[in-house]
Amino acid sequence: MMKKIITISMWEYLEKVKTKAFIISLIITPLLIITVTLLPSLLLREERPQVEVIGILDTSGIYFDYLEQEFQKYKLPNGRNNYVLVNLNQIDSTYEGIKKIADKDVLKNLISGYLIIEVIEKEFLFAEYRSNLFGNFKVVGRFEEALNYFKTKNVLEKAGVPSRVLDEIQERTIIQQRKISGGGKASDLDFLTTFFLSVVFILLLMMMVVYSGQMLVRSMIEEKSSRLIEMLVSSSTPDELLTGKLLGLSLLGITQILIWILIGMSLVATSLLPITAFKNIIPMLLYFILGFLFYASLFVGIGSTVNTEQEAQHITTYLSLILMLPVVVAMPAIQNPDFIVTKIFSYIPLTIPTVMLLRLNVQNVSNLEIFFTMIIMVFSIIVVTKVSAKIFRIGILSYGNKPSLKEIYKWIKE
Amino acid sequence: MLIVNNLVKRFNSTLAVDNISFTVNPGEIFGLLGPNGAGKTTTIRTILNILKPTSGEIIFNGKPITYEYYNVIGYLPEERGLYKRSKVIDVLVYFAALKNLSNRNATNFADSWLKRLNIFEYRDKKIEQLSKGNQQKIQLIAAIIHNPSLLIFDEPFTGFDPINQQEVKDLILSFVSEGKTIILSTHQMELAEKLCEDILLINNGKAISSGKLSNIKKNFGGNNIRLGFAGDNTFLSQFSEIIKYDSYNNYSDIQLRDDIIPSEFLKKIIEKIEVNHFSIVEPSLNKIFIELIKKSSD
Repeated sequence: MMKKIITISMWEYLEKVKTKAFIISLIITPLLIITVTLLPSLLLREERPQVEVIGILDTSGIYFDYLEQEFQKYKLPNGRNNYVLVNLNQIDSTYEGIKKIADKDVLKNLISGYLIIEVIEKEFLFAEYRSNLFGNFKVVGRFEEALNYFKTKNVLEKAGVPSRVLDEIQERTIIQQRKISGGGKASDLDFLTTFFLSVVFILLLMMMVVYSGQMLVRSMIEEKSSRLIEMLVSSSTPDELLTGKLLGLSLLGITQILIWILIGMSLVATSLLPITAFKNIIPMLLYFILGFLFYASLFVGIGSTVNTEQEAQHITTYLSLILMLPVVVAMPAIQNPDFIVTKIFSYIPLTIPTVMLLRLNVQNVSNLEIFFTMIIMVFSIIVVTKVSAKIFRIGILSYGNKPSLKEIYKWIKE
Repeated sequence: MLIVNNLVKRFNSTLAVDNISFTVNPGEIFGLLGPNGAGKTTTIRTILNILKPTSGEIIFNGKPITYEYYNVIGYLPEERGLYKRSKVIDVLVYFAALKNLSNRNATNFADSWLKRLNIFEYRDKKIEQLSKGNQQKIQLIAAIIHNPSLLIFDEPFTGFDPINQQEVKDLILSFVSEGKTIILSTHQMELAEKLCEDILLINNGKAISSGKLSNIKKNFGGNNIRLGFAGDNTFLSQFSEIIKYDSYNNYSDIQLRDDIIPSEFLKKIIEKIEVNHFSIVEPSLNKIFIELIKKSSD
């Protein structure tokens, strides 16, 4: 009995683990997900490392000195000034003439860009930053900040308010976000990283479920269409076959997880991910494995009823959509833990793994709730496996039309 | 010895197998014959213990068939196919392991079978790289690698060229001399005629005819002769001994009344015409098959 199950599971495992598709998915999937989730934050952090020369065309002549002094405070990592401001008023030409010359200099990359300042009426300024590209958010932001400060200062001075007051007003309050965990200790892990980590886990789970589910169903279709299944069931009982297949698929899943953990650990080593990101790793892994087992047993039952690739693809797509459902309610779930939909999804076996993966990292989930949802998962896996086994026993031998739900119900009752 | 007693298999409203009984002796080939959808596959599946019979019993070597018999049964299904992307030797070892062979024995047996069927060169190739005929040979090996004592072949000859057909036929005959119990299900009546000692002909789940092939032929009403002669054939209609005749260019196939002894008839006819050929003809299994199925379907 046991020997045949092991034979079947080893066959299922080895034949699938050797395929190019599996090896590719093993490495490509996490790389893709990591790139998509981490790349934006990496790009944002990057500072421009070189000195920028920027022209100032100030028709009033009041702002240049102020701006030049104000921009001294921006330094490059090597200690040099980030900006060199050039007064374009010094060019001996008309306003339009200077603009023409400056435009040319921009296009020749002699200057990164230039700022035109015109006083329209008293304190109202018209300012324009001209350069050969959009997206100079940082430098434009700095100019705006400087000009606004200047304007506010002027207005306040005229009203007789000491300039010290302005400096006090300028002191901004920055809110730090901290998550309080069970022990009462505050976590420094920033919210987005945790959230993304949960999403990464959910995406990995989904990819894994879809991928291995498809692989399983495809191999079952192959066995059915070639009648290999008859040679198999004349050598082992359907239960042995089903258990063997489930075991082989789980081994495949475990291989995937192990390799992904290695990738995750190397990311920690390169400090791309903070070690605290793996604080909840044990319950997360448990939900991950339970979720995988649950869907795998579901796939075995459903897979035995289909006869063509297309049918199989439809089914895997629907199932993975259900798996993705919790991500849709993710935002409201984080903002409001008592959100009713989240609560409901937390107790449906189909969505428990994803909802809990998400909630573990952004909320404080009580141990009781973790325990309870895991019990639900284990129980549902047992039930689904039993039902799947009944469908499997008849499904693998029925060819032709896809059985109706009524027929499948009959199989289960038999 | 395999004994099938009053086997009935019902799927919902359809009666796939309707009270069939037969016995297969070791050292002989039993022909399970019938048109498509007659219930052959269902019968085979119940013997294989893939399906539970609605009623009736199947006894092999004195004991009812259970899962324990898996390792002594070899089955070659009608439609063929294997794990296309797997290696020949891996597939064979897998099937052997499913029949409880150790890895070492499995490899040894696989190698010797590959050599015996002259396809050893493909041992480490992927199945999909083999020709259709060679793929079928691999499947045949997969069905017999564990040296089963009960063999069930469903259309074993389809897809083979004449040379390979001969090879497979020789192989099956070698199992006969080893005393194995063999069931052959086929549409190819000429082959069944040559190989099977006993047959069971079924249609719509019911047994139409069964027993020793020679008896079936005798019972079919086999008082047939072939007569070659010179001249006009119109004289044949004068004989009251003749039930019917079919005339061809140089000869006529004649069915005599059952009470007529062919040699007496020859004596009588030889005085009238010049006979250049005379032989007693047995009805072909093909003919019996067609006529019996037609009769039972009416």
